[in-house]
Amino acid sequence: MKVNEVPQDNAFLQSDNQIGLRDRYYALDEDGKFQEVPSVGWKPKNAAIQFAWNNRAEEAEKVRQQVITGKYSPLAYHMERLLMTSSILSQYTGLSRYKITKYCKPRHFIKMKPEDLSRLAAALNISVEELTTID
Amino acid sequence: MQLDFEHRHAAHCENGVVRNLLNFYGIQLSEPMILGLGSGIFFSHMPFYKLHGMPLTSFRPFPGTIFNRVTKTLGIDIQWHKFKDPDKAMQKLDEILFKGIPVGLRVGVYNLSYFPQEYRFHFNAHNLCVIGKEEDEYIISDPIGMNKHRISSADLKKVRYAWGTSPPKGRMYYIKSLKDYRPLDEKMIDKATLKTCSDMLHIPFPMFGAQGVAYLGRRMRKWEDMYGKRGAALNLAQVIRMLEEIGTGGAGFRFMYAAFLQEASEMLNRPLWNQLSMELSETGDMWRDFSYHGARFFKNREGKIQSYDDLATKLQIISDRETDIFTRLEKSIKRG
Repeated sequence: MKVNEVPQDNAFLQSDNQIGLRDRYYALDEDGKFQEVPSVGWKPKNAAIQFAWNNRAEEAEKVRQQVITGKYSPLAYHMERLLMTSSILSQYTGLSRYKITKYCKPRHFIKMKPEDLSRLAAALNISVEELTTID
Repeated sequence: MQLDFEHRHAAHCENGVVRNLLNFYGIQLSEPMILGLGSGIFFSHMPFYKLHGMPLTSFRPFPGTIFNRVTKTLGIDIQWHKFKDPDKAMQKLDEILFKGIPVGLRVGVYNLSYFPQEYRFHFNAHNLCVIGKEEDEYIISDPIGMNKHRISSADLKKVRYAWGTSPPKGRMYYIKSLKDYRPLDEKMIDKATLKTCSDMLHIPFPMFGAQGVAYLGRRMRKWEDMYGKRGAALNLAQVIRMLEEIGTGGAGFRFMYAAFLQEASEMLNRPLWNQLSMELSETGDMWRDFSYHGARFFKNREGKIQSYDDLATKLQIISDRETDIFTRLEKSIKRG
């Protein structure tokens, strides 16, 4: 890669972010020497990231519909949306995987203890109100 | 309290932390040199080791390896800690920090507040350096950011105890003493380079090193049957993300390692290494070409028929080229 070919396709890095996250490429200059060039992103990579998140959003929407029909609880939707699996969430909260899978069902979800609810909400970085709704 | 620590941006988080730490102690090495000395270029595709339910493709050795190798080579005494109890982990961090020692941390990015939402997945091998504390905020030097940053102690605790694949469990590391420090010499570079070649060529399993690239290609041909159309594309997206994720310097370290070969070639006066550097840089371009064509799978999902076989063929070629490059590199040292 040449210095002038270093991609600058910004998609996700906020420019107002104080820390200024950047990629950094080692690219060749005209004399065949490597130079360091900061970069804000590259289209194929952004496409890969976008694709993964779009897919995630579609999956989450499916689960959301199933929450409406009463198959799953809002917890299942938020886990899908926020990339959580029952095993990782169990590590974050200390609740067993079995319990978390159980809480994904509406009839167990409504009976959940308040402290479990707040632990789950904290691990998902959302408020308890958000966790109990699907908007 | 803030240490007099020069923050410099780097392409790879671990290299960056190691370089900035060494720089703090007056040892000035470039980032590619750290990568070279730490034998930081690698490849593995492990179908049995999952990240987000998909096989993990990695372009680096296990996190922490670069720091360990570089400091061992230079005869620097280091210390690692990990803790069961998050509060103890924070206490120890403060204790070391207030002795005036910058501390490297391994963290997960899922809860890392200054990362864009899109980059925050369960990736637990990010490195940053803590260089100060003011009231309840830590001052950190994250090498992939252009500037220093602040993070609250609650947030820092959270990212130190991220969970998922290979959790960091509050791991921290720092430099203890420099009393056996040896300056960089030819022998060290040769030894580290031989280690790199050995990792890339001689691990007797198909999923590691240069042959692992071809292995990934072979797996890729089966993806559509195994995971369906969408599953295959998701797997490909994960490979491209790992290949170009912040912190790989683009195309899975190939350019950075090429820069190391160039630097070493000048230092040791070995013209052959410069030539190998150019060739490795070309394989970097081939990896970029792979990503570029791979990205088409995400755009017209229903449209033109493209096959994973084409991509797999590209990987096969890359694998052959890299095998050739590292074989010649190895021979050039062994023959002396």
